[in-house]
Amino acid sequence: MTNPANVSGKVLINRSPVLDAFMAESSVAPVATGRMGRRRSRPAPGTAQKREEETDAYGRRAVELSAFYQGKIETVPKVPVRSLDDFALWYTPGVAEVSRAIHAHPDLSFSLTGRWNTVAIVTDGSRVLGLGDIGPRAALPVMEGKALLFKFLGGVDAIPIPIQVSSPDQFIATVEALAPAFGGINLEDIASPKCFGILEGLSKRLSIPVWHDDQLGTAAATVAGLLNALELTHRSVEEVRTVLLGAGAANLVTARLLLALGHDPHRLTLVDQRGVLHAERDDVDELMVRNPWKYRLALRTNGGGRSGDLAHALDGADVLLAASTPDPDTVKPAYVRSMAPDPIVFALANPVPEIWPDVARSAGAAIVATGRSDFPNQVNNSLVFPAVFRGVLDARARAIPDEVVLVAARELAAGTKRRGLTPHHLLPTMEESEVFPEVAAAVGDAAVRLGIARTKLSHEEFLDRARTLMGRSAKLVRALARARLTPPMPRVARRGGRRR
Amino acid sequence: MSATGDGSARPGTSASPEGPGMSIHLRPARDADVPVLVPLLLRLKRLNEEFDPLLKVRDDADEQARQVLHANLADPKAIVLAAEGVGADKDRVVGFVRAVVRERPFYVPEHEGVILDIYLLPLYRRRGVGEYLLREISAALKAKGAGVVTAEFPAQNEIASRFYAKRGFRPITAIHARSL
Repeated sequence: MTNPANVSGKVLINRSPVLDAFMAESSVAPVATGRMGRRRSRPAPGTAQKREEETDAYGRRAVELSAFYQGKIETVPKVPVRSLDDFALWYTPGVAEVSRAIHAHPDLSFSLTGRWNTVAIVTDGSRVLGLGDIGPRAALPVMEGKALLFKFLGGVDAIPIPIQVSSPDQFIATVEALAPAFGGINLEDIASPKCFGILEGLSKRLSIPVWHDDQLGTAAATVAGLLNALELTHRSVEEVRTVLLGAGAANLVTARLLLALGHDPHRLTLVDQRGVLHAERDDVDELMVRNPWKYRLALRTNGGGRSGDLAHALDGADVLLAASTPDPDTVKPAYVRSMAPDPIVFALANPVPEIWPDVARSAGAAIVATGRSDFPNQVNNSLVFPAVFRGVLDARARAIPDEVVLVAARELAAGTKRRGLTPHHLLPTMEESEVFPEVAAAVGDAAVRLGIARTKLSHEEFLDRARTLMGRSAKLVRALARARLTPPMPRVARRGGRRR
Repeated sequence: MSATGDGSARPGTSASPEGPGMSIHLRPARDADVPVLVPLLLRLKRLNEEFDPLLKVRDDADEQARQVLHANLADPKAIVLAAEGVGADKDRVVGFVRAVVRERPFYVPEHEGVILDIYLLPLYRRRGVGEYLLREISAALKAKGAGVVTAEFPAQNEIASRFYAKRGFRPITAIHARSL
């Protein structure tokens, strides 16, 4: 609910002594720019400090706007209310008959209520963005932001649910208890490796799709970009040698998806802080206990018996998929020079890639991708999750198996190709939004083909539905703004000036 | 205390380690094997550290392991089997199993074969080799008069629990500990 005091747009910030004190102590500088959200030119490495200042400015502005809007989403009725008499239909006594129908046929909950389009965004706050374990309360603004993305990009009603739990089992039990209200579960910002067990456990127990963006979304976007990069450099996934730097949520799933696509496990090498992951490494027994997902890859991959550090692993490799730590010196130009001809370099750490794109290209990289929107080829979860959820929700799917994730990745790649594949256009930009309903429809088709769809629509029906629902939210947001039901964004405070 | 390797043999597959691409050769260990058995034994004990602070490995565990293994090899009540690779790993010891026969003064059967350690290098796991080792050591313990076979491993080692449970083992005694 918007604070009525703000509807006029005149009050910039809701005064709070606690917030004022936080802002005064905070190291971030006051906002000095009104360029939020605009596309910026590509910065050189030397501008890293400027970028940090800009990030600070975003932070300051976000706090001010959060205090103004007091939340990013709200529930809105989707039925007419002509008079109070209508509540006899929407509520008691009429609604009892709807409940009886669902009691008799539980799957009717997907068609007689909003369940089909409602997703829970669940987190324990154990790994929020780059902030680490900040707990469920502090995770809420991020979950609200994700809910906004779900609605705006995917037309999905998403409810932020940060939960206070003390173990993965309790997490699973809690979400299982919530599931009757939802058509899908989106896990968010959960530390690795416990996120793997939670996703696996919930996928097994629930008959609705369960997704963890840090695993599946990032991996699907990475694979999509890689498929196009391979196409551009005339190679196939079966023949390349690939190094994955970083063995966290994203890369462990990327590795699994690559293997599912036919990548030779012997030609796949994972590298983490301890160097090349291989079966005889000292910590492999520990991994068996602590991180069986990584352990299994340690046993299957790195057929050449390589050991040592990233430099050893990259020698002669075709592809580097880095999802590690934000440090531009992680991947040195010499490593790129040692790779096979026309190397493909994905440096996906945020906010700073493992190697700056221009540095990678100077060292011979044929194709470079990052996680950032201000460079070409942004590998971005938001390319994937709205479309995947649109597809599985429209199919009332029971799960999201890897086959579906791969269909989404392939379609994302194919959609980009249809619009012109170049080394600077491996993936659609967020503006090329016509691709996303196509991905959603492909996902819906896959759910039907795999026998996990409760609703079997044709491709055209899925596509039509996705276009309508994914386009609707932008209209909704515009209409609310036009009607002044969403107050306009308040003016920017002057540097060091009064906030009024 | 001991643990097994990752015992999650694929369901429905036979336990035979002699399948294509995979086989090992099992034989009684000799004194000459001790230098290669020590690091394997220590890997296992270090794995046990993961499960409980009271299973912290001693600084001199290396020397202890050497002495214990030599003593076992000289002890008619102890069995140490060495698993050798074949092909490229021929003659390389890739795992071992160690067990002793203990008397049970109050119970029948009167002798129990206690599996103290089973360890396989990671690349040899998940292929039924662990099950093969278990079968062979059980037979050897039976031949030494054991009427029951038991296995010792950290209580928190669920992988070992599952490995043995799948093969008909159940908990019969429990050891609970607290520091003094």
